[in-house]
Amino acid sequence: MLGVESTAHSFGVSVVSDSPPYILSDSRRVYTPREGGILPREVAAFFSRVAGEVVREALESAGVRIGDVDAIAVALGPGMGPQLRVGATVARALASYYSKPLVPVNHAVAHVEIARFLTGLRDPIVLYVAGGNTAVVSYSEGRYRVFGETLDMPLGNLLDTFAREVGIAPPYVVGGMHAVDRCAEGGDFIEGLPYIVKGQDSSFSGLLTAALRMVRSGVRLADVCYTLREIAYSSVVEVLERGLAHTGRREVLLTGGVAASKILNDKIEAMARLHGAVYKPIPARYAGDNGVMIAVTGMAAYKWGYTIEVSRAFIRQRWRIDQVDVPWYYEFP
Amino acid sequence: MSSLKDMLGWVRGLELVKRGAESEIRLGFFMGIPAIFKLRVPKPYMHPRLADILISQRTRKEAKVIAYALKHGIPAPRLLAVLPSIGLIVMEYVQGVTLKDYAYRDPRGALLYSRIAGSILGRLHEVGVAHGDPTTSNYIVSSDGGLKLIDYGLSDFTEDVEDKAVDVHLYRRAVESTHASIAAGMFEAFLEGYKGVLGGEALKVIERAEEIRLRGRYVEERRRSVWRALG
Repeated sequence: MLGVESTAHSFGVSVVSDSPPYILSDSRRVYTPREGGILPREVAAFFSRVAGEVVREALESAGVRIGDVDAIAVALGPGMGPQLRVGATVARALASYYSKPLVPVNHAVAHVEIARFLTGLRDPIVLYVAGGNTAVVSYSEGRYRVFGETLDMPLGNLLDTFAREVGIAPPYVVGGMHAVDRCAEGGDFIEGLPYIVKGQDSSFSGLLTAALRMVRSGVRLADVCYTLREIAYSSVVEVLERGLAHTGRREVLLTGGVAASKILNDKIEAMARLHGAVYKPIPARYAGDNGVMIAVTGMAAYKWGYTIEVSRAFIRQRWRIDQVDVPWYYEFP
Repeated sequence: MSSLKDMLGWVRGLELVKRGAESEIRLGFFMGIPAIFKLRVPKPYMHPRLADILISQRTRKEAKVIAYALKHGIPAPRLLAVLPSIGLIVMEYVQGVTLKDYAYRDPRGALLYSRIAGSILGRLHEVGVAHGDPTTSNYIVSSDGGLKLIDYGLSDFTEDVEDKAVDVHLYRRAVESTHASIAAGMFEAFLEGYKGVLGGEALKVIERAEEIRLRGRYVEERRRSVWRALG
């Protein structure tokens, strides 16, 4: 199975097989803006330039020819339109030119599935935190259901926007460490920033506004970074904790770009220990967007007969995780 | 400060009856009255200062909601003492059985109590409070035959239809998951009681509760921005 990922800032292609060593290749290119945030069209242009070489590299390092591939999996959403179109175009072209079945994959489902695949945890409650998504999900009656989520902005977006506004990014992530994490070193907890958890949901826009106001009024940046991160992480872990208590699950997973954060990992581990639940972190390499997760999920979906006509493989920018049937849940991988 | 610490030590020595996600519930006597000691404990994954601030805020909020509910004649446990700085609320211990357990024993009687449960929630909503967790485990059939609604730990002042609908949905889910054979009757009785208090206003909430059930979840409707990608 060959998987194509292109929902945000990473263009990834991977070849996987349904027997060990499973992951045969994992090629990717990540777009890093020189200044400002991510402009979808610029990223899409970058994806178009690198797409060919990434596909070739993924096949070569896997040591397979495109003819050996059984099917092409592609992330059709959720994500940003211009980027999604590049991945979809590449996947549609491969599928139709080489007469391969095309398998539609939901990017959010794939983040959860790669975490289950890598940790071997079967039935977890999952915290999915990334630039574009923040949600606590668990499986129930055929689909992943959302227990709680952010009411306004995703956690990754909060960190990125804050870092950009105070001038410590881009680059947002250096050596696996987010600019806010680096800035928080040597910082102390200060009072005055809002912590908002409403039932099962978090809210970050008030926190962002208050933190920026603090920086402008001259409060030490390290302290604001430290407190912002402390509040943001604590609130999502608290929602996760409520989900764990509510669903009675015994396993906890963390996935998505922000999952690479050591501080967040430590908090979740402490929370899981408190409730006697098992927590296994995923390698940082697979926290962020990658082609492997699309290929692995596509493989499961393909086994269950999910394919899509090339002419009907439209992108779905707001494709929700709870709109996707996951019949392979208990027989995965 | 040292007397508060002594108090905390004394409370910790009381019989622990429940350890929830939010707090420890202990049983003892307060000035001779059988009392529940609800103690919020710091989360090990939070900075101690943040944990302290949240404990104090939430303790204050819960006490405020209970006092407000009592003032409006809603059968909540009476407050005996509130110490936000150590996260302690002392309440009257409502002797009796949960509606959940009662329903196993007396299904016919449970229908009647379910109707009363609906009217209690209706009154709470009428005065602008969503309970946050109105399951059959949080309704107590007291030994004198009355019904009380307890645990305001997730309650909030709100006029949002969604918040109220979540309450109705949570009750429905509680009866469906624990009293399957009489669930339909219990929920119907609950709605009668609820509509009896709120009249036409109730319909909006009930309609939204049905929507929540159909979406297979019970939190705020997914906002578009959640799926908006980076930057």
